[in-house]
Amino acid sequence: MSKLATSVPRRTFVQAGLALGASQVIGAPFIIKARGEEPVKIGMVNPLTGVLSALAQSEVDGAKYAEAEINKKGGILGRQVQLLVEDSANDVGTGVQKTRKLIDRDQVDVILGDVNSGIAYAMSQVTNEKKVFHVVPGGHTDPITGTNCKWNVFRVCNTTTMDASAITPELVKRFGKKWFFITPDYAYGHTLQDAFVKALTKLGGTYDGDMLPINNTDFSATLIKAKAYKPNVLLNNMGGLTQINCMKQFTQFGMQKEMALGGALFELESIKGCPPDAQTGWWTMEWWWNQPNVPEVMKFVADYRAANNNKTPSARDWFGYVSVQTVRLAAEKAKSLEGPKLAAALEGLELPPDVALQPGKVFYRAGDHELMPNIFVGEVHPPKGDASDVFTTAELVAGEQAAGSVADTGCNMVRPT
Amino acid sequence: MTTALVAGKETGASAEQLAAARRVLMLIAIWGALITVPLWLPLLGGYTALAGRVLVFGLAAMGLNMLLGFTGVMSFGHAAYFGLGAYGAGLTLRYLVHSTPLAMLAGTLLGGLAGTLFGLLIVHRRGVYFAMCTIAFGQLWYYLAYSWNSFTGGFDGLRDFHREAIGFGPLRLDIESGGTTFYFFLLGVFAVGVALMGFLLRSPFGRTLLAIRENERRARFLGIPVEQHIWLSFSISCFFTALAGTLYALLNNFADPLALHYSLSGYFLVMTVIGGMRTFWGPLLGAAVFVVLQDYISSMTVNWMSFIGVIFMAVVLFFPRGLLGARRRGAA
Repeated sequence: MSKLATSVPRRTFVQAGLALGASQVIGAPFIIKARGEEPVKIGMVNPLTGVLSALAQSEVDGAKYAEAEINKKGGILGRQVQLLVEDSANDVGTGVQKTRKLIDRDQVDVILGDVNSGIAYAMSQVTNEKKVFHVVPGGHTDPITGTNCKWNVFRVCNTTTMDASAITPELVKRFGKKWFFITPDYAYGHTLQDAFVKALTKLGGTYDGDMLPINNTDFSATLIKAKAYKPNVLLNNMGGLTQINCMKQFTQFGMQKEMALGGALFELESIKGCPPDAQTGWWTMEWWWNQPNVPEVMKFVADYRAANNNKTPSARDWFGYVSVQTVRLAAEKAKSLEGPKLAAALEGLELPPDVALQPGKVFYRAGDHELMPNIFVGEVHPPKGDASDVFTTAELVAGEQAAGSVADTGCNMVRPT
Repeated sequence: MTTALVAGKETGASAEQLAAARRVLMLIAIWGALITVPLWLPLLGGYTALAGRVLVFGLAAMGLNMLLGFTGVMSFGHAAYFGLGAYGAGLTLRYLVHSTPLAMLAGTLLGGLAGTLFGLLIVHRRGVYFAMCTIAFGQLWYYLAYSWNSFTGGFDGLRDFHREAIGFGPLRLDIESGGTTFYFFLLGVFAVGVALMGFLLRSPFGRTLLAIRENERRARFLGIPVEQHIWLSFSISCFFTALAGTLYALLNNFADPLALHYSLSGYFLVMTVIGGMRTFWGPLLGAAVFVVLQDYISSMTVNWMSFIGVIFMAVVLFFPRGLLGARRRGAA
């Protein structure tokens, strides 16, 4: 009896305490919901954990920088901008869930994301269903603005075809036509390799290659296979941390003496993660910070470094920056934040020089909603002076030339009536 | 608390009545809360799709719990049947017919039959060996979905399908747009699944499972065909989990290989243990806690799993019977 009398209340008490505690934690965000003027909400879904985290973080940094800059200048349509960032954990299911959360719960006006093309595509199904304007800052697979293009989806980064066709002539000219691919086994890798193979076979080349899991860590078997194939060029198509691991093992094997190295993307974040002897090869950059002839770029880089602990902006920072600025430009032209109006306003829109941050005309092509910037083709090398000065541009290839015609992309844009 | 005290003093009959009354009250509370979700969840800052996820994961965890909590056999591979259900439904919708009920049937059969066949191979294993076999078999499906790019979409997942409106003659249930209608559709399927599960567990078959859980050797000496019962329990549990998987595919309009991955099996176990694996409704509560915490904390920090881990440890240390089990001490 006494045991019952003492033990039951204690247990109830602990449970009640736990429930109360939990309700405080879970209930906390709901209190701040009451606001006067609602800001313009931009939801960003990006893989902040996983092998692409460094790239994702740079996009978030760029987007935040744009958010602050726009807010300083009076916001979008007179309203302040609020950026809500969610982690997709490099997992498609989570990315879809977070997109729904941002749209259903947070009522965002615009969705940005994702670095992982597979997630970006899955997200675009959700945004299309909900008629929400969607900018893909950095997911590269062709179908997003090709065979699967959608009226509400625009993309800042290049397609894999654009990158591949920009660098292929350079690699063939310099090194030869026998190539070996190391490619990640998901949408990005497949379309990138396909684009390379298409461009290479057109020039009469031959190839072999391996498809590896996206999170692969051990490349020895593939590198041995590559060594036996004796290619002119080894194309490392892996992304993020896996690319760094592959580069390290490549140099540990001493293979840089036997073959040239190259590929589509070797991003600033990844180059910095490699030891100096792995900082090599011919690659494309989708944007490069060191453009001494463009005054807007020099000012942007200086301001960006001042605002971000001296971090040099990479192409990813620029993607994030351009994505948020794109929302502003579209909203100002459309005088609205409704998905269909934003999409209509953005078709054919040319970026002003302080957003484009490069020479020439940079615009969203109306036919497939793909941004047409310059592609920076050049050589990666160990730092010269500045720690971020690891790439020298040899040539600027116009985006539209690399992309081919809209008909080539396979996009058949169906717009809402 | 006073009622509990009184119950201790009262005669057996009225204590039983009281327990029955409490059970009815609890059922009313659970179903009342579930049916009114679209009314109260937005007020708390949630959204209906979140409640849908709770139902789906809750059903999967309850399916697992039939094996874990009521038969006493540990499976680390239930994500395989969940994912097979999702892929079964998705592949049907994409390649075969545009019919939601048929897709659900196909997915449930795919996952359930895979579990049934596999169960035959492993019912003679016990403990850690059984668990290891379930992991291995689960990963097999994961890698199959991962590497069969042309058919399953590989790592990027199976896309280009969506749930279809369901027609009953002149009536039409429009679940395509999601929202409240779809939630009630999920709730309906959940209710049917849970009712069936409750019925099974209350039947002599369910009681036999309890006997096996409590003392396998004694059950064997009583002449119960233990292996056959464990196999049936595993198989039925897989059917329920696969049914939840088909709902998951409909919820996301999407199926990805991570729905087959062993880490998801681990999440199902965590949900079950947090909620209380000896209770019928525990896994649903566990799923609610897990899904809501994940949704909420992962917006603030990428280390949301650490928080789930701490809660998991706290539950194991302080409420070994789970959150729901704690209030029913003494009841088996």
